[in-house]
Amino acid sequence: MFVDTVIEDKSLHKPAFLLGLSIAVLAFFFTFNFTDTIFGEFLSPVIGNPEESGFFGRLVVSFVLAIIFVLNLLLISFAKLKIQILIVWIELFFLFLAFAYSFDLELAYIFIGEPSKIWLMISKGLFTTIYISAVSIAIATAIAIVGAIAKLSNNGFAYAIASFYTSLFRGLPLLLQIYLIYMGLPQLGFMIDAIPSGIAALSLCYGAYMTEIFRAGIQSIPKGQWEASRALGFKFGLILRKIILPQSIPIIVPPTGNQFIAMLKDSSLVSVLGIWELMFMAKKIGSKDFNNLEMLLTAAMIYWALTIILEIIQARIERKYQQKA
Amino acid sequence: MSIKLGFTKSIAFAVALLSLNMTVQAGAVYDYIKTNNELMIATDANWAPYSYINDAGEMEGFDVDVGREIAKRMGVEARFITPSWDIITSGNWNMRWDVSVGSMTPTETRSEVLNFPAVYYYTPAGFAVHIDSPVTTLAGLNGKNICTTAASTWEMYLEGSLDMIDAPAFTYKVTPGTITSLADGHTCLDDTRLGAGVRNDGIIDSIPMIQGAIEDGYPIRFLGDPAFFEPLSVATDKGNDDPELDAEIVRIIADMNKDYTLTMLSMKWFKNADGSSNDYTVAF
Amino acid sequence: MTMNTKSGNPVISLKGVSKWYGDFQALKDINLTINLKEKIVICGPSGSGKSTLIRCLNRLEAHQEGEIHVSGIELHETMKDVDIVRRDIGMVFQNFNLFPHLTVLENCMAGPNWVRGIDKDEAKERAVAMLKQVKIPEQADKYPDQLSGGQQQRVAIARSLCMQPKVMLFDEPTSALDPEMVSEVLDTMVELANSGMTMICVTHEMGFARQVADRIIFMADGEIVEQNTPDEFFNNPQSDRTKTFLDQILI
Repeated sequence: MFVDTVIEDKSLHKPAFLLGLSIAVLAFFFTFNFTDTIFGEFLSPVIGNPEESGFFGRLVVSFVLAIIFVLNLLLISFAKLKIQILIVWIELFFLFLAFAYSFDLELAYIFIGEPSKIWLMISKGLFTTIYISAVSIAIATAIAIVGAIAKLSNNGFAYAIASFYTSLFRGLPLLLQIYLIYMGLPQLGFMIDAIPSGIAALSLCYGAYMTEIFRAGIQSIPKGQWEASRALGFKFGLILRKIILPQSIPIIVPPTGNQFIAMLKDSSLVSVLGIWELMFMAKKIGSKDFNNLEMLLTAAMIYWALTIILEIIQARIERKYQQKA
Repeated sequence: MSIKLGFTKSIAFAVALLSLNMTVQAGAVYDYIKTNNELMIATDANWAPYSYINDAGEMEGFDVDVGREIAKRMGVEARFITPSWDIITSGNWNMRWDVSVGSMTPTETRSEVLNFPAVYYYTPAGFAVHIDSPVTTLAGLNGKNICTTAASTWEMYLEGSLDMIDAPAFTYKVTPGTITSLADGHTCLDDTRLGAGVRNDGIIDSIPMIQGAIEDGYPIRFLGDPAFFEPLSVATDKGNDDPELDAEIVRIIADMNKDYTLTMLSMKWFKNADGSSNDYTVAF
Repeated sequence: MTMNTKSGNPVISLKGVSKWYGDFQALKDINLTINLKEKIVICGPSGSGKSTLIRCLNRLEAHQEGEIHVSGIELHETMKDVDIVRRDIGMVFQNFNLFPHLTVLENCMAGPNWVRGIDKDEAKERAVAMLKQVKIPEQADKYPDQLSGGQQQRVAIARSLCMQPKVMLFDEPTSALDPEMVSEVLDTMVELANSGMTMICVTHEMGFARQVADRIIFMADGEIVEQNTPDEFFNNPQSDRTKTFLDQILI
């Protein structure tokens, strides 16, 4: 983003803003009574038994929390940008952990057993999730290239087929597509198993979205590139392969990365077909011992970790193309 | 040389191709099982103690043992697949799997798409509520919000449309105000745990399943006597009718009843809190 | 009208060529013959159809009426081997249109290597030679956007020359350049002209026209208004439109 050279005073360093913020935060903590949490216990030397501390206790607890919160902000505001980002990340992460912890779950459950539940999920579920996503992404990319070319061509059939395809598959919920392919195709005599059905649905759905991304990427290349290539006597396929697509890639990569991440998570929908992927395992492993939420939380963390890895890869690819450009 | 088919010819060709795939001769499914040396069994993966994924990540439970025994007596290997319940009950399996050994109750509706060659046990269904619930009798649940599994016999019972075949007589004892149908009945239990009337006022499920939840510390209690006993049967696909396979299943289940295999499996899997076992192979 | 053309060996001929953009007629009944080794400069006010005309010569634009022959091959919409004609006609654009993802050397090697089927070593040898000819061999490994506008246009000329064309088309090659870079491109074009290349240039550089052109064509409203030798064209313009144009351009 464009950074102005004129730096305004940080609003956090203005007394009026600081006071207003403190009052707002105090009101927040007061409204959502925190007296009967760990904070109340911690302050029991001051307010006595948290449960009997009443209005006074509630006020003291919210006051202390507000001070901690505002002081924290103030201290962070003096740090360098990178340190700020790091600290806020860490704090938010611990807040999230505290949130999960407050579910009163038996988190040890995830690690007990031989093999442990988390290993069971990784060994049986994660591989399938990655396998399905990777294959679907590859097929979707191939579909997207063909679809984009068809949509840009002046061949009536190609355009009609491609635009009908993108309209249909962007217009239907993915879950519905999964059911339609799994249950519908066999009615036409095409027997298709659960995993191929899931891959087909994911590929077709994301192929439709990516067709639009690729089309926009190809269209963003100036007409002069086509003309120069044509003037040199290049044929259409050669121009696309050697001139247009290589230049489109830096434009296509960021939105495509988003599609990859979205698909990784949407692959959980194929669990309805009984495929033993991450989501399926998460829902089923814990149910025997009635520890569903523990396993769902584990799956959440695994999906999140995968997404972070994909984000890092995406950032690297983007940087590589930026350097070249 | 290029092959040119006229329009009518291509249509005829396509139809021939399709019908080739769709019409399966009598005995074809059983032949297929024998040729592949594998019985593909559809069952639920989330239904302890009937069928579930154990600590080693493998299928286990009463239905799984019954399925294995059926395969063994056919002289083939058993393989389990775990599609969601509504996909199994909607029929048209297209030979993705051969049989369902998943505690399915024969109903008129289901028998339009499925065959039920042999009932292998009976299970009681019952209501449960949160331990703090003010409701003390089944009548107290009238007009309340009851949660259950979508496309299940319990849902049909709540709707007053339970059309079981060959089942012990029963009466509708509860008329709920709202029915909350979830794809995974387990979620109902988790909702009930949140408190009486928070997300639902009570659930209906199989009694052994509720028993398991109570033993695991869920704050719920049974309400009243069992609502009904449902016969539970092996199911095969009507779309790929195979009398030979059905006859084989009838024979094997009869044998398993005769030599008490089913009774032993029932005693193994359906235990009470006091350690005593239940024989569910006969209806009460 | 008498014409001082290099006689006898026509490489491009247009007969009654017309072109429309919707209702707007961009070219009106153009008749023109261009001989081998001839240097033509086309000028005229903007919107006069001069760019359209030379873009029709390698069929980047389609004409709707009349005939265009290049090396004896007629250009028409169903011709499959238009690429063969294009390989023999080099074109230099106002905005250079270099391939930004390829180095200067790769830009020059692309044509010979990909469509002429010349192996990489030979294509590279040829590319280096052409870059020497346009006097920027030291930039071979840079990417286009690391070069100045004048350098980029010279690379574009080298890229076309690598295809060893019979004819070179220049579509306002200096219009997008900063003033101080115009001369380096013009110098390159003059050298090319001296080497005997057949050239058709759309340009407003009248000094260049005076220096190298065998014939200057003046266009207005999609028509060829006047064509003549530079001497006659500048000193003795026939039509009023030409006079007005020359007055405006040669202040």
